[in-house]
Amino acid sequence: MSSTEQGTSSAAPAEPTTAPESAAAPEVPESFYYVHGKDKVVHKVSAGALQHSALIHGMISNLGYTEEQAKANPFPFENIDGDILQMVVDWCNQHKGKPTPPEDTNLPKQKEKLFDLVLAVNYLEIKELLTYCCKQVAMMVKGKSPEEIREIWMIPTDAEDEAAEKEAKKRAGKEAAGETAAAAGDAK
Amino acid sequence: MVFQMPIALLKFPNDLLREVFRLCNPFDLYKISKCSKKCSQRSITLGGAKNWKITYSGGNVITIWVDGSNYNFNQADYPEDYFQMTIGRYSNYMDIEFPNGGGVDLFFYLLDTLGIRIVKSLEITFGTIANVAKVAKVLADRKMEVEHFVIGNVEEVQDVVDFMPTLSQMNITQEFHCFLNFPPDFHFEFVKYPRKVVITDSSWFTIDQLFECTCVRIELEKSTFNNHDLDAFLQKWKKAGTFPNLRRLQILSDFIDDESPIQEMIPPIQTFNNPRIRVSIDGHDGIVDGVRVTKDDGTVGWLKVEFGVWPELNFLIVDPTDTVVEEIHDDVDDETDDEW
Repeated sequence: MSSTEQGTSSAAPAEPTTAPESAAAPEVPESFYYVHGKDKVVHKVSAGALQHSALIHGMISNLGYTEEQAKANPFPFENIDGDILQMVVDWCNQHKGKPTPPEDTNLPKQKEKLFDLVLAVNYLEIKELLTYCCKQVAMMVKGKSPEEIREIWMIPTDAEDEAAEKEAKKRAGKEAAGETAAAAGDAK
Repeated sequence: MVFQMPIALLKFPNDLLREVFRLCNPFDLYKISKCSKKCSQRSITLGGAKNWKITYSGGNVITIWVDGSNYNFNQADYPEDYFQMTIGRYSNYMDIEFPNGGGVDLFFYLLDTLGIRIVKSLEITFGTIANVAKVAKVLADRKMEVEHFVIGNVEEVQDVVDFMPTLSQMNITQEFHCFLNFPPDFHFEFVKYPRKVVITDSSWFTIDQLFECTCVRIELEKSTFNNHDLDAFLQKWKKAGTFPNLRRLQILSDFIDDESPIQEMIPPIQTFNNPRIRVSIDGHDGIVDGVRVTKDDGTVGWLKVEFGVWPELNFLIVDPTDTVVEEIHDDVDDETDDEW
């Protein structure tokens, strides 16, 4: 994706712009693909940027779509929130064709979205971004006590785990009893 | 008070959890394991085996080695000190509550929770034989690798004597270092030798044991070997196929004298060349003015026997890939260098 299109999101995909010509060698025109998340907002992304995602790269590598075909067939990621997909697309654009630095300052900063972002990145198989996100998750508990870690990572206490287990057993027992009663009723 | 936005870690798929745990240091993982039993179990299951190593001397500190850094778990006396940390460039410290079983229990808790497979060092120091013996017994049963085992010059000599059968069952791979003066009737046979043995009171180490030794490096002090023993050793060494690992032998013995020959030479055995010749392994641990001895298969060794503070035999076996032979000037100190 060219710089003018970075972060472009619209219900109708924008027309691709022409990549700047190099004086040294004729450039191969860049191909673009389209993705959308749960919100159906379509993002136009270059094949180069999408190479970060092993999942999408695998999908597009043998397609040989024309621009029109690609536009007509955006990849649907219904399990990813639109704003999360936007973050991922932004990151892929920023790191297109570049080696990712050891300390990435372009990481998405919204901590409240981190959980969903990690799941999305994991699903899309973006290895480097996943490592960064997991590192950020790990960094959340640096220097914290177990009580604080429990709070940050929403880890139930042993008592809460035991209560939940009891509750689950109780529910399962009730359900089993209900099924037995229903089966007996059917038999009558 | 925590201001971080919470994130439900345990709802992560296992491969993500594994990745998060992989990025945690030993202090983080220990604290995570203390959040709940479930958390502890998952960190054990998902943490996987690591190249971290552990060190224990039977006391109130256990150290985990991670690449170039070390993480020391110290026993805290007061609850208000629990999880207090001092983070340095290489050395990091955290005060924790030790379990009821003390350091031994903590050792195995860390071993299992952190997925550690190699013990870097185990050491018997003053007052720690009971704890080290307990740990050593389990490690021997688990056939776990212990790189270094050190016996300090402790007062509980009989306890160490009683412990030695356990030692013979251990998988010590790199070095056995013994500073203890055992009683005169002490006897011990190694079942398997590490790469290196250093025994500062080696009167119990017999010439038959030396013949069977598979070490790369052997250092024996206060040995009882005499000229005849050392000659017999060198006769055996000269035969092709013997001592395939040996690179360096150093023996200090009051029984080395200038009355009988070693390799048909009456000690001291050394050359008086000008320029002098220094032979070393990768530039370290050199012998100056040694005499060249050749094995039947053509392997070269350099031998020196001298009467300094203690009568001493030094022997270095050449490996063309790392042995440096150089001429030196007279003003260079001819003592052996740093260990390699």
